[in-house]
Amino acid sequence: MFRYIVKRLIEIIPIIFVVSLLIFFFIHLVPGDPVRLAAGKDATLEEITRVREELGLDKPLLVQYATYMQNLFTGNLGHSLKTGLPISDMFANRYMITMNLTFMSLGWALVLGLLIGTISAVFRNKWPDYVGMLTAISGISLPGFWLGLILIQIFSVQLGWFPTGGAESWKSYVLPSLTLGAGIMSMLARFTRSSLLETLKEDFIRTGRAKGLKESVVVRKHALKNSMIPVVTIAGLQFGFLLGGSVVVETVFSIPGMGRLLIDSIAFRDYPVVQAVILLFSLEFILVNLLVDILYKALNPKIRYES
Amino acid sequence: MKKVSYLRAASVFLFSVALLFGCSSGNSGTGGTTGGTSAPQAANPGETPAKQKEQLVVAVNENFITMDPQNTGDALSSGVQTSMFEGLLIYDKDLKLIPGLSTEYSVNEDATEYTFKLRQNVKFHDGTPFNAQAVKINFDRMSNQENNLRAYRNYKYIKSTDVVDEYTVKVTLNQPFSAMINKFTTGIISPQALEKYGKDIAKNPVGTGPYKFVEWVQGDHLTVELNQDHWDKGAAKVQKIIYKPVPENGSRVAMLKTGEADVIYPLPEQQVETLNGADGVKVERTPSTITRYVSINMLKKPFDDPRVRQAINYAVDKDAFIKVVKAGYGAKLESVMSPTIAHYAKQGVYEYNIEKAKELLKEAGYENGFTTDIWGNTNSDTMKGMQFIQQQLQKVGITVEVKSMEEATLSDEIYGIKSPEEAKMNMWYVSWSSADPDNAMRSLFSSENFPPAGANTAFYKNDLVDKSIKEATQSSDQTKQKELYGVVQEHVFKEAPWIFLAVDEILYGKRSNVEGVYITPSGGIYVREAEFK
Repeated sequence: MFRYIVKRLIEIIPIIFVVSLLIFFFIHLVPGDPVRLAAGKDATLEEITRVREELGLDKPLLVQYATYMQNLFTGNLGHSLKTGLPISDMFANRYMITMNLTFMSLGWALVLGLLIGTISAVFRNKWPDYVGMLTAISGISLPGFWLGLILIQIFSVQLGWFPTGGAESWKSYVLPSLTLGAGIMSMLARFTRSSLLETLKEDFIRTGRAKGLKESVVVRKHALKNSMIPVVTIAGLQFGFLLGGSVVVETVFSIPGMGRLLIDSIAFRDYPVVQAVILLFSLEFILVNLLVDILYKALNPKIRYES
Repeated sequence: MKKVSYLRAASVFLFSVALLFGCSSGNSGTGGTTGGTSAPQAANPGETPAKQKEQLVVAVNENFITMDPQNTGDALSSGVQTSMFEGLLIYDKDLKLIPGLSTEYSVNEDATEYTFKLRQNVKFHDGTPFNAQAVKINFDRMSNQENNLRAYRNYKYIKSTDVVDEYTVKVTLNQPFSAMINKFTTGIISPQALEKYGKDIAKNPVGTGPYKFVEWVQGDHLTVELNQDHWDKGAAKVQKIIYKPVPENGSRVAMLKTGEADVIYPLPEQQVETLNGADGVKVERTPSTITRYVSINMLKKPFDDPRVRQAINYAVDKDAFIKVVKAGYGAKLESVMSPTIAHYAKQGVYEYNIEKAKELLKEAGYENGFTTDIWGNTNSDTMKGMQFIQQQLQKVGITVEVKSMEEATLSDEIYGIKSPEEAKMNMWYVSWSSADPDNAMRSLFSSENFPPAGANTAFYKNDLVDKSIKEATQSSDQTKQKELYGVVQEHVFKEAPWIFLAVDEILYGKRSNVEGVYITPSGGIYVREAEFK
């Protein structure tokens, strides 16, 4: 197992290399000129040429890529074209905020999603099932943008319980993580329900029941665990997405997170920032995937990874 | 065995989640105080402080880019900087030039020599005394091409800055440039801080203004506090100002309602209704320097015919435009710039008249209309505006295809061309904001400024206009300037290189207990007299 993990970790290096290559060349394919945008509408041609030279954007792409990779390996992410600030400075604060939001959203979504899913499966086609699935459908269908604004209207403007946004205390995270987690909770509930229903049809469950085990034991100890593979897959994927930051929720609640940074940087063609953000997201996704694979094995020892 | 592994699986997952969760919330504590001096943030909603409020929260729609006033291009960053920096002259809330770090100045006849008497006993926030030498260091910084600052485009006209005595400075230009006087509003930075921080001055602003820099947490907020040693001490009374970027319109409005923000700008037109009559909130309106128009490519057929351009102007109902697209907040554009700018000369309106438009089109040989397209960015207001133009021109037989492009792509298409003939643009729905007549006219109508060299995107060329603009920049005589800029406005308006639409209104909201805070016509945030009632 240990060797397997090490091997997977080593594999990250070529993947990151390919990803960096793709990001770098794709972003330069997109029309738009950061120098123009930085210099402004009333910039003169000579001014633009000067800025372009200063930023090193007049050099051939391959040379730019080489410089970029060289810096990357020395741990230097570069400077933003827009603000001139070091990218690591821009990341520090935003990254922690996105992390907090991710864990809060995923946390409550996991607990409630599993609970609703299990109850719905156990009481299949009875009223708890209907209530549960209605909740789930609503959670999936409500657009985050709308839900966020409604929550602000009710809990901030009317009741005054939580601030309308920002990232100052745990209180400011409540509404955004509710908004962000709603869809995930619903998805997890639905997956748990269907997966659990499948498992409950299996022979070993019938055996369990036949040998007189209590229904609660059957569900908790035998069925639930065997239904977790698809749920873990979904949770892992969502975890990865959440770490990328949510543009919608960050915008509605004015949270300075990673999602907004990426969107702003793309709009400005701030190449170094876009590259750094996407590279980070790729790395996170790879790591989350690894975590999911390890969990698979823990859930089902029959799954073997050659080491 | 099976039991154990199940437990392990569940606990690994839940534990790791719990652990990371715990860790991360612990970290958020430190994250929040990165600035060290971070103040307790905006009061909890619903909690109206009983005692005198000490901090003013200003919520704006975008992130600030830089705090180096000599390298700033966006209105928002400079709006925030005005609390910390002052130029030799400053703009007041109505965009009038008033004495700042200088008490008086004189200009020679052909606008090549400017002499300033400086204000005495002024100190920068770091204690450095303000004097002629400090001004020279700042001006030399901006006029040096190698420093690559935004301000260079204005300060490149400076040949030399000379220290006459401790409190007198003489600036000599390499060519006459009367608009230079407006450029002396650029903020002066502490020479000692410039030396200490180098390029990092953009994160560590040190000026002479009524407020001192406290901290800037990237993307979250920027805080300034009252400068107790300011030369105009007592004008501003609020102890602390926090500027916060809040991009979502609805969220900004909600913050004003709950009292989390004391001032919000911009206030979207559509939201004014929801605030009118809300408790403790005031909506403020002021004319802006922003003109809204459609630039027409005069090099292309059929727009090379002035009758076609005039016809298009007659075909668009400006009252309806303001009502539909600007929700009623705006004024008709009756010249080539906003009435808030010096030397404005009102020209009138191409009154909505379909018959006249059709007649002109017929004269020009386009009785049956033609097909063209209009470009704009993806902003929802821009799309609305473009669709409005589309519908209006349809009535005179002109079929317009609306093409909205993401801003950077659009900018590339317009300015990224090699020569004017290459321009693919037919019509461009756009706006322009400037604080002085030179920037409003020379940038947009002087033939030396055809893209890619400049922003004359209509490719307007008129020798008389070129000559008048040039002469106006070469004379410091205000009467002469007014006359020359009058000629420019008259000719441009008659030849209609644009569809003249509207002058935007600046809308902002504030809590009713806030006094002395204004948004200036150019989008600056004026806090020099800020106080709570």
